[in-house]
Amino acid sequence: MRVVVADDVMLTREGIVRLLKDAGIDVVAEADDAELLLREVRLKRPDAAIVDIRMPPTHTDEGLVATHRIRTEHPEVGVLVLSQYVEPSYALRLLEEHPERVGYLLKQRVFDVAVLVDALRRIDDGETVVDPTIVARLFGRQRRQDPLAELTEREREVLGLVAEGLSNRAIAGRLFVTERTVEAHVKQVLLKLGLDLNPDSHRRVLAVLAYLRGERSI
Amino acid sequence: MARVPVPPADLARLAAGAVVSAYGLGALAVARGPGERTTYAGASELAAALTTAAGLALVAAGMVASLARQGRRIGDLALLAGFLWFAPVWAGWNGGPALARSLGTLAAVFTLPVLLHLVVAFPSGVLRSKGARALVIAVYLGAALSALGRALFRDPFFDPACWDNCTDNVFLVHSIPDVARAIEDVDLWFVACAAAALAALCVWRLAAASGPARRTLGPVLAGGIALAGATIAHSVVLSRAAIEDPSDSEFLAVFVVGCAAVIVIAFGLPWALVQARIQRRSVARIAADLGEAPPPGSLESALADAIRDAELQIAYWLPGARRYVDGHGDPVDEPVAGPARAVTRLIRNGHEVAAITHTATVADLEREVGAAVRLALENERLQAEVLAQLQDLRVSRTRIVETGDAERRRLERDLHDGAQQRLLALSYEVRLARAGATADGDEELARMLDAAGDETAVALDELRDLAHGIYPAILTEAGLAPALQALADDAPLPVELDELAPERRPPAVETTAYVTVAEAIEDAARRGAAFLSVRVHGADGRLSITAQDEGRPRSHDLPHLADRVGALGGTLELGDTSLRAEIPCE
Repeated sequence: MRVVVADDVMLTREGIVRLLKDAGIDVVAEADDAELLLREVRLKRPDAAIVDIRMPPTHTDEGLVATHRIRTEHPEVGVLVLSQYVEPSYALRLLEEHPERVGYLLKQRVFDVAVLVDALRRIDDGETVVDPTIVARLFGRQRRQDPLAELTEREREVLGLVAEGLSNRAIAGRLFVTERTVEAHVKQVLLKLGLDLNPDSHRRVLAVLAYLRGERSI
Repeated sequence: MARVPVPPADLARLAAGAVVSAYGLGALAVARGPGERTTYAGASELAAALTTAAGLALVAAGMVASLARQGRRIGDLALLAGFLWFAPVWAGWNGGPALARSLGTLAAVFTLPVLLHLVVAFPSGVLRSKGARALVIAVYLGAALSALGRALFRDPFFDPACWDNCTDNVFLVHSIPDVARAIEDVDLWFVACAAAALAALCVWRLAAASGPARRTLGPVLAGGIALAGATIAHSVVLSRAAIEDPSDSEFLAVFVVGCAAVIVIAFGLPWALVQARIQRRSVARIAADLGEAPPPGSLESALADAIRDAELQIAYWLPGARRYVDGHGDPVDEPVAGPARAVTRLIRNGHEVAAITHTATVADLEREVGAAVRLALENERLQAEVLAQLQDLRVSRTRIVETGDAERRRLERDLHDGAQQRLLALSYEVRLARAGATADGDEELARMLDAAGDETAVALDELRDLAHGIYPAILTEAGLAPALQALADDAPLPVELDELAPERRPPAVETTAYVTVAEAIEDAARRGAAFLSVRVHGADGRLSITAQDEGRPRSHDLPHLADRVGALGGTLELGDTSLRAEIPCE
């Protein structure tokens, strides 16, 4: 897999690059700001880009803006956004703009090379990746009438993995069950939550996250 | 009312008025008798009536004006103009004394210069601008030269254009008809030019004057313009005719307009005085009308109404802050006098109480402002000073809040860009070392490095929470709506947020709104509420935040929050289980 890495902090960027190289992933370019990142993506046409959310000049949401441009101009290039913030808003914004081939991971997690490589592979396969901490935060949100209480333990587990962006097959692998079982669970969960959507669509991640946040209108 | 003794100078003026009136009536007798063919007044009854009316109106206006202190100079000019006005009639006294006819001929030359002087110097009697002074001097000089030349060299007997006095010039030294003719020609156009300048000056003053000033000055200036028009028309008509004929319709029309103009000017003098008196009365009444506790700035509008000058401004000097403020305590520019604006400074014990910028037509405002108004001004100055200090205090409170926020934000960034990055690097090094240990088959070391890695992750989590507690970065980066959502994510009770428009507001407003909601959540949880509904709504330049729960009634205030909202000029209302904050967004 060919990857571009963008992060303005050299320490982090080099760390990620080294980890990726050790894992046998081809890092075709590095960038320390969004402009350079976009140029490298145009030039090298990588399979994926790893993008720090906070980059010069304003250190706010340059990473999200760059992601939007990459996904619009080069739909074949997936993007993994790295952030130090456990902010569901950012993850939701990312998925709202592009529900496929994107991911939002906490920065500290990427040094676990297995997590990093897994995320990149999933994005390359067309899935989405949402950091478990974000999902946990949304699960922990206090609700007036909690529909999550009606779910069984296993169903909650499945819902969590759906929210993290896993496909039914990946969920089946994680839980050591068959894909058909997962499908049944997903159907049941969506039914209990009153979410009317295709259980296999790419938009289900966004719909579930928005639902957990209390934004029913999606 | 105390009896005011009439000073001797006024008696002299009254006497002069009476004499000039008698002499004017004498002129009428001359015109209707021997001057029948040699004067305008003799040509028709209309002309006779107008001649007498204009002359006597000038005399009457002069006498009335000289009774008022500020009108004396103008009054004297009007009396003089009234005297000169009848000169042409005496010059046309057929068979009259040669000296009287000769003097009448010469005096008539000065009628227009004196009228012009009167209009230009009105209302103060003083020529303020250089242009006005130059015009008046030039016109007097021209008239003097013309009169001298005619006196010395014009023998009316040899003047083919002669009509009113064709026999007498007792001053004649040597008859040179060509020179006399040339003087008359030059004089004709010189007078026309002076009249044009007068008209321009009057138009300019009318245009520059404010509403009330235009009302006061209007009649005299309009009369001046009409007089200038009549003078120019006279020059044009005369240049085309061989001889001036009072019975000719063109000449008569010009004469009628001229008389009307003079009557308007004469009427305008007492009119302006009456206006000034009305103004003075209303200025004196201000203090009584305002009552005991007038709202800030009411003195300015009252004074503006009184002297009918909508642009009037009162500025108070604050010696401590070394700046001027208005009645509301808002800073204003230092008052400066302009072309049509004057500045009156009221001083008390060596300190300036107020500086009033007003129309220059009110020459002596300080005298008109009585003791009561002065006291009201001093009161308002004190009030303005307090208001200005309050405003300073508010600005400084806002600044303290903003500085605190900025400082917290800087700390959060420092943590993020510094310690957090270092810890990240450390966790990476640990991972790397662990991978090495595993490769070397050193299980013990791998376990220790695992523990170190976990510790680093915990440290990172704690540091992130700490940084977030110092300042929520999402508030600056993504705005109020996502930041409030994040608050609701972590709240210990269900929080329902009404949809909030994504528009951005000033940082201090966003931070305060965030703190308000955070406090509302904390407070609701403390009171055992099971649910909190929050509504943040922006309208009319204000952001209002309402929070409602069903917990136990509130038993304590939220002074910290009240301070914070108050620092931005906002308000915080607390109910038993509700809270409402209003924050101005500017």
